[in-house]
Amino acid sequence: MSTAGFAIPAELDRDLRRFRTRSLMVGGAALLLVAAGAFLNPPQFFRSYLWAYLFYIGVTLGSTALMMLHHLTGGAWGLVIRRLLESASRTLPVLALLFVPVLFGIPLLYEWSHTDVVARDELLRAKAPYLNVPFFIARTVVYFLLWVALARLLNRWSLAQDRTGDPGLARKMSALSGPGLLIYGLTVSFAMVDWVMSLEPHWWSTIIGMLFMAAQGLSALSFIVALVVLLSKREPLRSVLTPRHLHDLGKLMLAFVMLWAYLSFSQLLIIWSGNLTDEIPWYLKRLQGGWGIIGILLVLFHFALPFALLLSRDIKRSTRTLAPVAGLVLAMRLFDLFWWVAPAFQETGHVSFHVHWLDFAAPVALGGLWLAAFLWQLQKRPLMPVGDPNLEEALAHGRE
Amino acid sequence: MPEQQLLDAEKGQAPVIGPGHTFATVTDKISSVVLTQRQPLMWFATLSTAFLLTMLLLLAVTVLFAKGTGIWGINMPVAWGFAITNFVWWIGIGHAGTLISAILLLLNQPWRNSINRFAEAMTIFAVACAGLFPILHLGRPWLFYWLIPYPNTMGVQPQFRSPLVWDVFAVTTYATVSVLFWFVGLLPDLATLRDRSQTRLGQMFYGMLAMGWRGSARHWRQHEVASLLLAGLATPLVLSVHTVVSFDFTIAILPGWHSTIFPPYFVAGAIYSGFAMVLVLAIPLRAAYGLGDLITMRHLDNSAKVMLGTGLIVAYSYLMEAFMAWYSGVGVEKFLMLNRMTGPYAEQFWMLVSCNIVIIQLLWFRKVRQNTLALFGISIVVLIGMWLERYVIIVTSLHRDFLPSSWGMFHPTRWDWATYTGTIGLFLLLFFLFVRLLPMISIFEVRTLLPEARVKEETRA
Repeated sequence: MSTAGFAIPAELDRDLRRFRTRSLMVGGAALLLVAAGAFLNPPQFFRSYLWAYLFYIGVTLGSTALMMLHHLTGGAWGLVIRRLLESASRTLPVLALLFVPVLFGIPLLYEWSHTDVVARDELLRAKAPYLNVPFFIARTVVYFLLWVALARLLNRWSLAQDRTGDPGLARKMSALSGPGLLIYGLTVSFAMVDWVMSLEPHWWSTIIGMLFMAAQGLSALSFIVALVVLLSKREPLRSVLTPRHLHDLGKLMLAFVMLWAYLSFSQLLIIWSGNLTDEIPWYLKRLQGGWGIIGILLVLFHFALPFALLLSRDIKRSTRTLAPVAGLVLAMRLFDLFWWVAPAFQETGHVSFHVHWLDFAAPVALGGLWLAAFLWQLQKRPLMPVGDPNLEEALAHGRE
Repeated sequence: MPEQQLLDAEKGQAPVIGPGHTFATVTDKISSVVLTQRQPLMWFATLSTAFLLTMLLLLAVTVLFAKGTGIWGINMPVAWGFAITNFVWWIGIGHAGTLISAILLLLNQPWRNSINRFAEAMTIFAVACAGLFPILHLGRPWLFYWLIPYPNTMGVQPQFRSPLVWDVFAVTTYATVSVLFWFVGLLPDLATLRDRSQTRLGQMFYGMLAMGWRGSARHWRQHEVASLLLAGLATPLVLSVHTVVSFDFTIAILPGWHSTIFPPYFVAGAIYSGFAMVLVLAIPLRAAYGLGDLITMRHLDNSAKVMLGTGLIVAYSYLMEAFMAWYSGVGVEKFLMLNRMTGPYAEQFWMLVSCNIVIIQLLWFRKVRQNTLALFGISIVVLIGMWLERYVIIVTSLHRDFLPSSWGMFHPTRWDWATYTGTIGLFLLLFFLFVRLLPMISIFEVRTLLPEARVKEETRA
């Protein structure tokens, strides 16, 4: 396979562009609806928006982390999807922009932003040095600066590697990825404390960072698997992607499904058995008034079913079967985040499951825009890292 | 895989096996340690020291059984002193063996083939040492079987909601699966020793252990299936055992114990200390027996990287715990963290921070990872650090809890130290007997790393 063979052929390029335009149009239309919702029902708008946003930032940051993991450890699994991971990581500036509405929503989303509430609440007073609006915004800015910087550097070197094939660049990417993953781990943990945990400011759980890292990795992997299956119907990926590569990706997906379940169960068991007043309300809300059914659905379809399916070698090796599993997991990621975010705005003992029309419009709007940005980035480079010294080996790995 | 090796050379990495080896030389080299070679001085020195320490353990346990747990420093409020610290420390060390033998097998990481055998042996002996402590810690150790649910005339059943009972299941399962996995893996090599042994005693000893292994194609086929199944069974154990151990703490509602990050944090810590022990054993062994071409710098480098990675997860967990203690806004949580950092056990706390977080940052540098002496030193430091970590977790949470009127201090007695160092002796004694009597590196698995093994497979396919 020659180097030029990995460039996106004209036909695929046209189709991708068409899809991109459509995605942008759908996203734009939904955005108008969402904007209308922002005037009709501002609190609901911000809740739906934050939830949808968490899903897309999860896919993006998960991709960035997987990209760094691949730079650090190598492996054929990462080389065949590296361009997809990189394209996702280059949407971070767009996501930074899309975070701006959340900043306007701080008073409606976060109880701790009201000085009168804080003044009445001893715990919130104690947390005020951390949970206050200026510091919240400053932290968010720092997170995005670090994420964008990491993604930019790694993408720039990857592009240079395409041109020169310089093996020193692979070493450079690997050297940055070690500290990069460390930065990712710390920033994501604190971002999730800020954006998610502080929705219920009395609650805390030390596992939240790891839980969200596992969840983001799973979201990213499921998205990439679904996409790589779609792309493998056409050249150049048709002659590259083999059952062996899918098998590796499927195994990784299985590992992330288990990791998510393990961390989620650990949190549940520890908080349930402790039954302490600061912690247990979080679960009480999420197990009452219809939310419990979502919880059971999560156990069944976020863990049990994908776990059972992914144990099978045949299911992991076939595009026809792996893609639906990836789709299922991706859908369940949305459910899971909804279960994390939506009950936060209800009072313990008065919770009831309900879905607003904005909960449908917001993910479509953000998804359309994000997907368009992703495809725009994807079209910019060949679909394989042509300058990587291990590419031949990775492709041969698939043919073995 | 010859291409693999060429590539590795290009990347500047050491190969997983030294050049010039054939099937015959590998077999000779590993089996000669057991069958013909004179044991190096290091073996005699370690074994005799270990023997003396084991005698000390026997003495300490005899006195303990005669007089009761009062000879230790434990009392209210610190009822879990050295015994539980040592239990968690030892069982954590075992985890690296299971990770290397099971998970790396499933992940197709052939470099593990020359370190899995002694790492598995390390697991079994570490679990044996760990298993002693909860029993010794019982006031009436002869009634330990009450922890096992069995139909009895007293109508007494263990409390199934207690993680201490889960521990019994987790640890016994772990010990059983580890022994089985290790023994199944030994079978082909035991047959090799049987065939090569020159003495009648050796032939009978290895012959009985080899259980009639003749190396037929059917044997190999069944062996491979059994190994993969056992690896599959052992894989969840890498996570589950230390997760259950962490529940011993988190299910209690004590500040410093009740923390949701404990399960993954304990697992990472276990693997961290386990790889440290792997290096502590591997580095002197390869020097004393001249095994540098089988346990290469690549193995040491990879183990050091795993140590760095898991060490960083542990550091991350300390940070999250400290941050959340403050963020919680809860008085006792804040007090506990402050008491850990500045209270009467501050010295141990800061020592553990320097051992587990600060010093291992040296492993970022390739030069350090390539220096066996430095690696050995860092690994010892990590083992000390991980012991201190468990000590600090246990003692600081217990010694000052919610009621200041019931505060107290823990002072270890000489019997505490005797029991602890005694198990180190027992561990080393068992390990060096293993080195003397069984092939410490898997002969048949190392042979699969050779170019010869690869060529045959390719011509067949």
